[in-house]
Amino acid sequence: MSSENSVTLHGVSKSFGEKQVLDNVSFSVGRGEAICVLGRSGTGKSVTLKLILALLKPDAGNIRIGDDEITQLEGQELSRVRRRMGFLFQSGALFDSLSLHDNLALPLRRLTKKSKDEIEEIIDRVLGQVELAGDKHKMPRELSGGMQKRAGLARALVFEPETLLVDEPSSGLDRITASEIDDLLLDQKVRRGSAMIIVTHDLHGARRVGDRFAVLDKGRLAGLGRPQDLEKHENETVRRLVGG
Amino acid sequence: MRNHNVTIGIFIVSGLALFTLVLFTIGNEHKAFSPHVDLHTEFANISGLTKGSDVQVAGFDAGEIADIEVPKSPSGRFRLVLRIDQRLNPLVRTDSLVTVDSEGIVGDKFVQIHGGSANAREAAASTTLPSKEPLSLADLLESSNDLINGANGTMKGVQGKLDGTLDAATKTINNANDLIVGIKQGKGTVGMLLRDQTTATEIQQAVANGEQATVSVKQASASLKHASGQADALVSDFASRGLGGKVDQTLLSARGAAGNLDSISGQLHQTMTEALGEDGRGVDAGGNIQQSLSNLTETTGNMAADTEALKHEFFFKGFFKHRGYYSLADLDPTTYRNDRVFTNPDNGRAWLEAARLFEQTSNGQERLTTEGKLQIEEAIAELGDGALNGPLVIEGYSSQSDSGTQLAASHSRALLVLHYIHARYQVDLRNIGAVALRNTPPPGVHKETWDGVCIMALKASS
Amino acid sequence: MIGIFDFVGAVGLFGLRVIGSVFRIPFELEQIWRHIGEAGVRSLALVLSAGLALGVVMTLHTRGALVMFGATAMIPKLQSLGFFVEIGPLVAALLVAGRVGAGNGAVLADMRATEQIDAIEALSMDSFKFLVVPRVVACVIALPLLTVFMDFCGILGGYLSEYTLSHISLHLYLTRAFQGMQWSNFVPPTLKALVFGFIIGTISCFFGYTTNEGAEGVGRAATSSVVVSSLLIILADVILVKIIFLTFPGSAT
Ligand SMILES: Nc1ncnc2c1ncn2[C@@H]1O[C@H](COP(=O)(O)OP(=O)(O)O)[C@@H](O)[C@H]1O
Ligand SMILES: [Mg+2]
Repeated sequence: MSSENSVTLHGVSKSFGEKQVLDNVSFSVGRGEAICVLGRSGTGKSVTLKLILALLKPDAGNIRIGDDEITQLEGQELSRVRRRMGFLFQSGALFDSLSLHDNLALPLRRLTKKSKDEIEEIIDRVLGQVELAGDKHKMPRELSGGMQKRAGLARALVFEPETLLVDEPSSGLDRITASEIDDLLLDQKVRRGSAMIIVTHDLHGARRVGDRFAVLDKGRLAGLGRPQDLEKHENETVRRLVGG
Repeated sequence: MRNHNVTIGIFIVSGLALFTLVLFTIGNEHKAFSPHVDLHTEFANISGLTKGSDVQVAGFDAGEIADIEVPKSPSGRFRLVLRIDQRLNPLVRTDSLVTVDSEGIVGDKFVQIHGGSANAREAAASTTLPSKEPLSLADLLESSNDLINGANGTMKGVQGKLDGTLDAATKTINNANDLIVGIKQGKGTVGMLLRDQTTATEIQQAVANGEQATVSVKQASASLKHASGQADALVSDFASRGLGGKVDQTLLSARGAAGNLDSISGQLHQTMTEALGEDGRGVDAGGNIQQSLSNLTETTGNMAADTEALKHEFFFKGFFKHRGYYSLADLDPTTYRNDRVFTNPDNGRAWLEAARLFEQTSNGQERLTTEGKLQIEEAIAELGDGALNGPLVIEGYSSQSDSGTQLAASHSRALLVLHYIHARYQVDLRNIGAVALRNTPPPGVHKETWDGVCIMALKASS
Repeated sequence: MIGIFDFVGAVGLFGLRVIGSVFRIPFELEQIWRHIGEAGVRSLALVLSAGLALGVVMTLHTRGALVMFGATAMIPKLQSLGFFVEIGPLVAALLVAGRVGAGNGAVLADMRATEQIDAIEALSMDSFKFLVVPRVVACVIALPLLTVFMDFCGILGGYLSEYTLSHISLHLYLTRAFQGMQWSNFVPPTLKALVFGFIIGTISCFFGYTTNEGAEGVGRAATSSVVVSSLLIILADVILVKIIFLTFPGSAT
């Protein structure tokens, strides 16, 4: 398999106990490509992202990040691969005992040899991108849901990842902020050539940022392709989700 | 943040400092760092001593047991290594006796090295010192029980033979019973008693004295009652508290007393049997009984007084004070001499000379002569009828050469007269007291010295 | 029944994983320091006041009995021995199990529920080393120190209580308190607090780190932490006391 593709899922299945969440899902994302994952809630979109980062282990199938089979990795190796990826959690998942600044500083301090000044510079730049520069010293509980989302995105960006996994970046945001986030993602994709998997319900944003759509339905990959092709898909759910 | 770090730093440092402080305090306690000497001793039974138990030299905290070697056969003995402060080494001689002592009833066991004799050599390191095995409480209690039963038996025998003439004796015994019951009820008294070394020594001393002088009925009965009363109280008290195992060491001194009692009780029995049984010389039974009766009266009188004497023993003081037992029997010479009530020249006094009052018995003790008894009766008559109702004090005097004998003799003289008066006139014991004044009457009576007895009737207070 | 073995096995493995991780880099010294502050310094006031109160109460209770036997001289020794040998380590551990155990359980369970633990992993940090190990190590370090403070306050409380009753001097009190005291009466019992600390840290982190039941799991994790660690502390105490007696026969006074 070529290393053209940043992330490749092949025949991935995952169940929790009796409950089958993903069933034989395969797709891949190339460099500078953004895939938007659509689907009704509870269909396993977040689980898919966590599998890619090896926060969960699949029951079957392979997940390759570049040339690494991440499902087989552990310890240092796993860390090395994960460092090439950024993850925005659906809930933001900020460390609530640390200020916004420290939330971003923690990974930089621990995982890079950057100087204090460099770290400050990165933090200021990334927070500026998500328009939270003024809220640097606030604690997570002092931020609104939308702000927490943006802060989480900022934290996902500090390592300038090759691959960005984004879980519902615009839910809970107003249209203007949402489209600013979309601009940011677009910028990452185009200028930095990042591969992106974006889970979203916001069709407008998805059409701006996404090159292809992957539609999940009842744990299966019901449709995969460009939005305009999927509008004519035989599956009713796919058509409705893509908004045809 | 900086502030927070400082707090954590203080927390850790002060915790470690406290830990170290305790370590050093304990270390000093064991004098781990001061020069010491190791001595040895052996016990067949170490009564619960352990490595690290305290070692005292003549009562001074001197060190600890450094090691205990366990014997290899039942006939062997535990070998103790006693590590003591070098400064105390000069007190320890090759003949220093080692015993196992205990701090009170529930206290720790410790090893006591008694000071040796001055002319023995100083014990060098690794000397094996002689030891005295601790006795077990069980032995002691058993012998006490036997004693009490024996004494009861003897008393019953006497009562059976001389039925009806022993009312006084019964009364006295009841009195003694009261006492024992009192001890049993008196909260904590036994605990105090056991803790109190002075009392223990007194008891021991009393018994020792009794043993030295050939046994007289009086002393034997007093000691017996005294000790058996104690023993009885102890037995029931310990039984009820289930302290058995813990007590034995504390009873070290009491134990000596109990051991001696055995022989005294035997002698008592013999004396009584002799007094009451067939006379080998063929004196007629009637005369014998007559004699016995008078002896017995005397004995009863003695016993009554002794019970009273028992009451003013040091350890009963507080107890009896509360119950109104406190009486004239409690007089001590020094107070007596300085008390205006007693030295008041208006008090009636009858001076009786020793030579006419007493005679020596074959065993070296004194007893009242017939003439002496008459004299006492005359003196009482002289003092007037009221004297028998009001408080009476019998002052005993003796002009013996050394002051120890003086005290003992003047005491026993006063008691002899007191008993006689009590038996003759049935005076309430609460109203009559005895005091031993050696050879010197109190100031204000215009007598330099006296040998004998003075019966003093307190001027009735208005 | 199977559930119990399952649980014991899981906790055992978790504990072994902690021990195995402690000596691997990164040592997380900063986190350890922070959690010593959390578990130690912040429990100090609780431990000090409890120790003082307990010291006072214990003297009030034992005094009567000792006075009855005329063993008043034993009061300080009983106090110091009681605290050094048993009350200090045990009560300090139970207090910390309540405060820190519940805290660890709740905080970690909440971090799990709000995906913070996943986020740490996503940032390619070892969440176990970052969250669990420093907490356990901090408990292990803090508890013996808290025990010493507890002992100190217990004896102080005993002294204060005795002073109001008999006006004994501090010097005499301390002399009697330490009379015949062995190192084995102090050092092994204090070190047994290390084990208690390990139990508290491991159990509370186990419940916090492994439960994944959302918000309601947080409360459950906190409760389970306190219950199970308290129980285990007492069980461990039984065994440790026996071990101490076997190792230092002289301390069984
Ligand atoms: N750790 C987990 N344990 C058990 N069930 C899970 C877990 N994570 C997700 N699920 C279940 O998997 C299904 C898919 O979840 P998720 O991927 O979060 O949905 P969504 O597509 O809305 O993001 C849900 O039914 C959820 O309950
Ligand atoms: Mg989701």
